[in-house]
Amino acid sequence: MVDWLTVTIQVASLAMAGWCLVSTFRDQPMVVPHLVGMGLLWFLVLGQVGAAVVTVVGGDRPAETAMFVSYLATVALLPPACAVWGFMERSKWGPAVIAFACLILPVLFVRLEQLWNPVV
Amino acid sequence: MSETTTSTARTLRTGPGRLLVAVYGVFALAATARGGYQLATRFDEAPLAYALSLLAGVVYLVAAVGLARAGRTSRVVALVSCGVEVVGVLVVGAASVLLPEVFPDDTVWSNFGGGYLFIPLVLPVVGLWWILRVHRMDTD
Repeated sequence: MVDWLTVTIQVASLAMAGWCLVSTFRDQPMVVPHLVGMGLLWFLVLGQVGAAVVTVVGGDRPAETAMFVSYLATVALLPPACAVWGFMERSKWGPAVIAFACLILPVLFVRLEQLWNPVV
Repeated sequence: MSETTTSTARTLRTGPGRLLVAVYGVFALAATARGGYQLATRFDEAPLAYALSLLAGVVYLVAAVGLARAGRTSRVVALVSCGVEVVGVLVVGAASVLLPEVFPDDTVWSNFGGGYLFIPLVLPVVGLWWILRVHRMDTD
């Protein structure tokens, strides 16, 4: 796990959530810039997931590897799944879906970091 | 809410239902993964709690699919699974407070979903409200 990348993802994700909440309260549907934002966020997430997978394959793995890998799969799939699901809805509830996903994502990364580096 | 008056809003997955399905999907994944993992690795410690987590996950999954699919049957499925969730979170929540020795480890429904920001308590109520609202719009 690359620490600065985790922090970057969490900040970007919260910013994305804020943006989408504003869109929701302004009664706007999802537009292409939202999708581009989610694409960039996904790119960052995949970078972190890739780095983690390389480290795990290299032999440096956390105690609960199965749990860790299932969380990795979740963070890798959450942004595109929610982006598609939200973009299909042509109302303010589209950005609401993205906002929810972007609020969950930082929490998932907190769990990932805990599994990676358990504080005993 | 203007969009609810259009005919396209008359299925469960549109409008607020869209967000509801997303939240249910995440909870289905979280509870199923948690319950399944704990049952597989630490079955002896708290079989009841882990089995309940897995059960909750399956019910969330059924509710998510029921909400995401159009049609009368899936509406009934969603209604029943949301009802099961309300009963589950209330019964397990009360049991975990009154009889803590039965639950050595937490489930999604322990303490009325307190470990998950009480979302497990609120979610099925919102789900039921949404299903009944769509149903009423249909019968009008």
